[in-house]
Amino acid sequence: MNVVSPDMKLCSKVPEKNFFVMSKIPIKDIIAYTLVMGGIIFIILRGASEQGYFWQWFQVPKYLFTLEDGTFTLGPLLQGLKVTLNITWIAMILTYTIGLITALLRLSDSIVGRLFARVYLETARNTPLIVQLFFIYFVVAPVLGIDRLFSAIIALSLFEGAYASEIYRSGIVSLPKGQWEASHSLGLSRFDTYRKIILPQAVRRVLPPLTSQTISLIKDSSLVSVIAVYEMTMQANAIVAETFLSFEIYFTIAAIYLVITISLSQVIALLERRFKVNN
Amino acid sequence: MTKMKLGDYIINVNNICKTFPNGVKALCNFTTNIRRAEVVVVIGPSGSGKSTFLRCLNGLEEIDSGEIIFDGIPLDHHKENRLKIRREMGMVFQSFNLFPHMTVLENVMLAQQLVRKSSKTVAKSVSMELLEKVGIQDKIDSYPGQLSGGQQQRVAIARALAMKPKVMLFDEATSALDPEMIGEVLDVMKTLANEGMTMICVTHELGFAQEVSDWVIFMDEGKIIEGGTAEHFFSDPKEERTKHFLSQIL
Repeated sequence: MNVVSPDMKLCSKVPEKNFFVMSKIPIKDIIAYTLVMGGIIFIILRGASEQGYFWQWFQVPKYLFTLEDGTFTLGPLLQGLKVTLNITWIAMILTYTIGLITALLRLSDSIVGRLFARVYLETARNTPLIVQLFFIYFVVAPVLGIDRLFSAIIALSLFEGAYASEIYRSGIVSLPKGQWEASHSLGLSRFDTYRKIILPQAVRRVLPPLTSQTISLIKDSSLVSVIAVYEMTMQANAIVAETFLSFEIYFTIAAIYLVITISLSQVIALLERRFKVNN
Repeated sequence: MTKMKLGDYIINVNNICKTFPNGVKALCNFTTNIRRAEVVVVIGPSGSGKSTFLRCLNGLEEIDSGEIIFDGIPLDHHKENRLKIRREMGMVFQSFNLFPHMTVLENVMLAQQLVRKSSKTVAKSVSMELLEKVGIQDKIDSYPGQLSGGQQQRVAIARALAMKPKVMLFDEATSALDPEMIGEVLDVMKTLANEGMTMICVTHELGFAQEVSDWVIFMDEGKIIEGGTAEHFFSDPKEERTKHFLSQIL
């Protein structure tokens, strides 16, 4: 509609008045937040001092980056972050793809397809990721001739893909049967029905759980350190082994993981609002 | 009322049976034939198999036995035949079933482009024409969720008509509507009937049946109890069950 409604006209005049409304400070919330955070920090500091821990935060920056004579060099932690991000985004695409294919196979008419998807799903979901990592790295990789990094990516994608497939499937079966029937009654093929009707709606529905899964993927990528892929956690382990700065280094990488995962969920939340379907 | 003359048979339904997996017999030795340009109204108590009959016609439900032949094409296990038949049969549902993630215009254009392979321009002009016909021309960029039930159902009719079907199936098209919106949908259906569209309507609107139908079928327990022209059917029902049903709803 191009007509400006009376409400919209009102809105454009309001800002001066609105200022007071906006500046109304939620005092209760702030006090509650400060108390909770203060409590947590107190417990951590207290725990550390009981242990007689000697904090050396000043040591941390050089592991992130160094600035010498105006040249910027990435420290081991940020180099590890680069590897982590590389693993994550490729594994993410593979996870979504594997998940989608598995979900479609499980919902297909083909008995072989359904069985195959089921066996994969149960195996990947019911065994520890660390075992799968070892299996792929030590058993499958030599046969296929793939390297460490790629083994890590494959193992992660297969593991997370199993969960993603269940998320997709729940999104697909949650759509009203009428959507299928309307599409069929128009003569659309199964492929077109999925492509144009079912998946666009299902994906919107499963964005929130899919985001959680992606966040899991980012965090689980720290496990690939067991096959000596030098991603962020592996680098952190190495530094800790050398310097005994366990709390400082682990808190630092935890903060970095937090920054990545929170930005990701913000981006997805934005997408969600954009694609919101008015049912 | 000026109506086109009825043509030859377009749908032959021979002895079809349908039992649901839970053991409910929905259709039992059901036989009927439908002519071109004929408007058939199917009435009957709920659970009598009316909707199932309609859904069997375009293969949304599989029949257990018997045969359905549409314009010379048997509805069988061949995917090609099934798709061919569905392309020639439009269906309008009780719950509209518009695609909520597409605008009104996209809803109507979709099948023309994907199934009929029309160009975007052609699909758009056909859609605009149909939306005008059903009176939704000023809402083409709205999403279904922004429309009233009556408007949604009219869009659904336009969407089905966009495929230029030979037959239209209406499955209780007005049952989910608020009373004040039933009229607008029935008007569109009446216009279609008068234009010579072959229609099979499952409905509770007896006024509509009396006004436009060429043939009324009364069903109960998966069987045709009685069929006749609207005049005969309503004024002089033969079967006891029909009389009972009519007395209940008239």
